[in-house]
Amino acid sequence: MKSPSPKLKLQAGLTIGYGQPLASTAEEILLEGGTHFLIARNGRGKTTLLRTLAKTLKQLGGAFEAEGKTQYLPEDLRFDPEITVEGIFKSLLSAARRQAALDLATAVELDVRKAYGKLSTGNRRKTHLIVAEYSVEEDSGNILLLDEPFSGLDAYAREAFEDIWRNSSDKVLRLVSCHPDYDSMGMPSAIMIHGKSIHHTVGTDQTWSELKHQLN
Amino acid sequence: MRLFRLTTATLLRRKSWVICAFAVAVLPFLLQQISSGTENPALLKPAIAQATWAMALLCAIFWGFFTAAKQGESNARSGLGEYFLTTGVSATRQLFEMWLSVFTFLAPLPLIAAAVCIFAASPALPDERSMWMATNLQYAMLYLVVMAPLIALAIAVASRLGIITGFLTSSALAIYGLYGVGYLQLLGNLESNVFLKWLWAYSPHYHFADPTERLRYKLGAIAWDKFPLLLAYFGGILLVYAALSRLIFRARSTA
Repeated sequence: MKSPSPKLKLQAGLTIGYGQPLASTAEEILLEGGTHFLIARNGRGKTTLLRTLAKTLKQLGGAFEAEGKTQYLPEDLRFDPEITVEGIFKSLLSAARRQAALDLATAVELDVRKAYGKLSTGNRRKTHLIVAEYSVEEDSGNILLLDEPFSGLDAYAREAFEDIWRNSSDKVLRLVSCHPDYDSMGMPSAIMIHGKSIHHTVGTDQTWSELKHQLN
Repeated sequence: MRLFRLTTATLLRRKSWVICAFAVAVLPFLLQQISSGTENPALLKPAIAQATWAMALLCAIFWGFFTAAKQGESNARSGLGEYFLTTGVSATRQLFEMWLSVFTFLAPLPLIAAAVCIFAASPALPDERSMWMATNLQYAMLYLVVMAPLIALAIAVASRLGIITGFLTSSALAIYGLYGVGYLQLLGNLESNVFLKWLWAYSPHYHFADPTERLRYKLGAIAWDKFPLLLAYFGGILLVYAALSRLIFRARSTA
């Protein structure tokens, strides 16, 4: 069913983990269109939560509801080293959106004629992000689950993607796991996993600098 | 069909399919130069026919199954399978799309082989020529029915156990079915050994789909009233392997 605005509702008691429980939601969490960050220390369950919400991993308990077309971009995603970025776009993106994807690639200095295997880590990330961003359906709500999309990405490219995120926040819900590398990064909406608890914290002035001290 | 397009673009880009096209369309004409056909011209055409179909079979076994296994492993381990799963492309669909892509590259080979045999190695007598054409077309069909499920099996096994295992499983089955089953019959008296008899009966008899003997000795086409039975036999194997492949296949390698 197509829904104009995406929603992700994590009910209280949603428990994630691989066999053993890693973390649970203490209360109901409702996410709507826009960017939401997912922060936690290493090994606390960021990827596990994203995989659970992407339905490639079964939750150990509780439930959640997702409204919108979901895409989960794994951190370790990679294409065949021989195929060019242009070939990837041609295969995965509709003809109508391909030109916009190529324009963005040019803007973020991604050489689309290069073979994927010859790209730097950052440029591979740009390729993945462009594929995900231009695969969103314009006539329905979308949920993008992005696992560490910023690692290896330069500041200029990150800003370019953040601009796109701001402009499409009504139709796309993005849950972005990351380890920010600068303290002033704004995080008005953040899902935090600390200890065995998953919490949602909101605040327009909230920054990584404030939130990182709460993680354990 | 995004995964089909991505796999097809990847295979085109790798260009190794050119070797197969060369092996089936050109190599038989070079190999005849080192055959006994140079001493006895009557053997030239059979030599071309034998080499052409041998090349088509070798290409399927070494290129087709290896490529299929590589795609199966890569899809599961690169995160692509998981990505496609989350976008609504089920594991069954992923297996089908990758299979279709590899099959698209393999399917022209028996057609090229049949064309080479018909246009370059056809007997001179009109009766023999029509029989020759029928034989080649029958074997082109059998080739496709035999190779199709083995491609799916290579993809599926490799997605779970890696490229080497995927490649070896399909290759071993094909080689066993083409040549091993015959040797099994020669090994001993099948009637007196229940296990060997059972093994022989349940083995895939791919040698029925190998046209080289029939073409070399101009034995003629398979009788048209028996041909559907042969198709049904390989169709049955196709269904079993297709089901097995789906059970084995997984779209991502981690738990």
